[in-house]
Amino acid sequence: MSSFAIVDSSVHRDLTVNTNRGAAFGDNLMFTMTYPMEFRDIQSCYPIFFSKDPETGQFYPVALLGFEEQSNLFLNGDQWEATYIPMTIRRQPFLIGFQPDPEKGDGATKPVVSIDMDSPRVTRNDGEALFNEDGKPTDFLQKTIGTLEAIHHGLEHNKGFVAALLEKELLESFTLEITLNDGSNNKLMGFYTIAEEKLQSLDGETLEKFNAQGYLQSIYMAMASFSRIRPMIDKKNAALD
Amino acid sequence: MNHNINRIVIVGGGTAGWLSAGIIAAEHRVAAESADHSFQLTLVESPDIPTIGVGEGTWPSMRSTLQKMGISETDFFRECSASFKQGTLFKGWRRGNDDSYCHPFSAPHGYTEINLAPHWQASRDQIGFADAVSPQSVLFADRQAPKQISTPEYAFNVNYGYHLDAGKFAEFLRKHCVEKLGVTHIKANVLGINSAENGDIASIDTDSHGTIEGNLFVDCSGQRSMLLGDHFGIPVLSKNTVLFNNTALAAQIPYDSDSDPIESCTLSTAQSAGWIWDIGLPTRRGIGHVYSSDHNTEDRASEELLSYIAKTVSKKAAAAATMRKVQFSPGHRAKFWHKNCVAIGMSAGFIEPLEASALVLVELSAGMIAEQLPANRDVMDLVAKRFNDKFLYRWDRIIEFLKLHYILSHRQDSAYWRDNHAPSSIPDNLRDLVELWRHQSPWHRDTVNADEMFPSASFQYVLYGMDFETQPSQTLRRSELTAQSQAQTLFRENAQRRAQLQSSMPTNRDLINKIHTYGFQKI
Repeated sequence: MSSFAIVDSSVHRDLTVNTNRGAAFGDNLMFTMTYPMEFRDIQSCYPIFFSKDPETGQFYPVALLGFEEQSNLFLNGDQWEATYIPMTIRRQPFLIGFQPDPEKGDGATKPVVSIDMDSPRVTRNDGEALFNEDGKPTDFLQKTIGTLEAIHHGLEHNKGFVAALLEKELLESFTLEITLNDGSNNKLMGFYTIAEEKLQSLDGETLEKFNAQGYLQSIYMAMASFSRIRPMIDKKNAALD
Repeated sequence: MNHNINRIVIVGGGTAGWLSAGIIAAEHRVAAESADHSFQLTLVESPDIPTIGVGEGTWPSMRSTLQKMGISETDFFRECSASFKQGTLFKGWRRGNDDSYCHPFSAPHGYTEINLAPHWQASRDQIGFADAVSPQSVLFADRQAPKQISTPEYAFNVNYGYHLDAGKFAEFLRKHCVEKLGVTHIKANVLGINSAENGDIASIDTDSHGTIEGNLFVDCSGQRSMLLGDHFGIPVLSKNTVLFNNTALAAQIPYDSDSDPIESCTLSTAQSAGWIWDIGLPTRRGIGHVYSSDHNTEDRASEELLSYIAKTVSKKAAAAATMRKVQFSPGHRAKFWHKNCVAIGMSAGFIEPLEASALVLVELSAGMIAEQLPANRDVMDLVAKRFNDKFLYRWDRIIEFLKLHYILSHRQDSAYWRDNHAPSSIPDNLRDLVELWRHQSPWHRDTVNADEMFPSASFQYVLYGMDFETQPSQTLRRSELTAQSQAQTLFRENAQRRAQLQSSMPTNRDLINKIHTYGFQKI
């Protein structure tokens, strides 16, 4: 369960956040949402695919962390074994909430920093403090706010990116068949990837537009990220031994 | 002289006209006259004659029909007040009390490999046939949808067709046909028909668009059948000695609240001299009583309808209901394609909507015209003969299939139900089949054609839903012995799939709301 509170220096003065890694903190994920602005870092560690939100059917890019539910191959006890940790993982237990904006009125909302009070990361006097003794946000909180802002923009960017991909029919579903060293055959289904043949037949005008919007780079980063599947299979095989 | 068939004129709008236009134009590219492959498709619609709006239920075939026309399923749901139909729930058909059975769209589990009907017989007292062999009926009770918002458009978890608003559907198709498929739309009244020397229709005269020439005329003018009936005098073969229903009282009932559940099947409830349909759209329910005027008075029929509405919706809804009366003569034309004129829709025939056969017949008729479009006038008569043979066969099968629902009933509570059992009212072929099915269950080889409208699965659902008894085999069949364990596995798998669907499918209402908010993905 989650119960979100808007971060407030008067209420949350003595709150701290445990930034360790571990399954107990909800890090044992099969995949997590990502955003084109971090694709360069993501593709150096994880394959980038596209997944559908089961509640809305809408596509979004994901970084693949494992081959089955509740299995993150990069998590080893309290160690996250990768040079880059996705923003959606780092932001925990914070997220962006929205509340009415009285200055703008008319149902307008503004983003506010919220915290999941039920997260096991939320502690008192054990970890990173949110506020200094004088009530000013700590560097930790300021960095987190920076991450949340990036995610906020990333969500908007994703919408445009995905809409452009769908319009040009550049996404296709695929099944990844993996044979492990123990001879077992495993299938990874339910993800989507860039349709390379369609991409190669895009007209110049679209390519120019995609280039100007930064989509072209993101598309090729996602394609390049496929090379990260092999190291994940190696990790999986290593775990079998 | 140019004998090529390249100018089709459809007379009449409505769902039959526009659906036919869309199906033909989805196959044959409409092109400008100067091009090498000149092909023109024109639909002439009277601005004065309102469409009757029959057929608010479709078969699953409508999915591929729409998809082939290049229609987005999301747009269709949003603009036609469409909902999911997964089959029919028949109430009161066996004995007229609380009995009910499901006829789902999905075929029995393992249907291509094994006939589960004989294996189900042993447990028929514990579980209904549809529940034992299909995962779908479990979704009827809680008004659940056949798919999720993440399922691509037209794809499904379990098979489905649609309920839709016929008026909105015709308008939606018109827009698509004109804007995307190049169909020419002319709003004019037809004043006269001009014959060619060979007796073909050469052209039609209109009040506001002069004379319109064509080399194939499609009559979608409704019950009046302006071309095939009025002009060519092709008679209607009445089927009123087999199927008695000839009058319908139709009402549109609003929901009490816009969060009320939407049924995921058609409800069909037997009455003293007919039955009541109940079709849930997102915006309203369409409820109507189709009955035999020889067995019931309009007053009594309307009383039964209002009592149904009061019981299933609310007394308030019943008090506010207004009814529209439609009279029809059950039957079909002696032939459907004569010279260069072919009738589709009510101009071809009309029958009570017990199995929602109206729209599917339009799809099949227009589909055959699209596929077999005669290259020239010389071969048209050959195609016409094939068309007539096929659709006369289909009408016979539809009539028999509908009649089956009546003759399996145990109801004796009115002259209507008793008359339905009169041997003189039962087609010979149907009587023979029922006799045969007392000793063997319907199976693949019962059917003559590959493209039968009602496969053996449909007969199984109705027969065993209606408590029909098939005697066990007289001989020890090796096929059944070896299939024993396979059958038990299939029953078990079906039970698992039922549970899984029940826990994972959203309600119809939820999914339709999501379609309106997010839409389906194409992949």
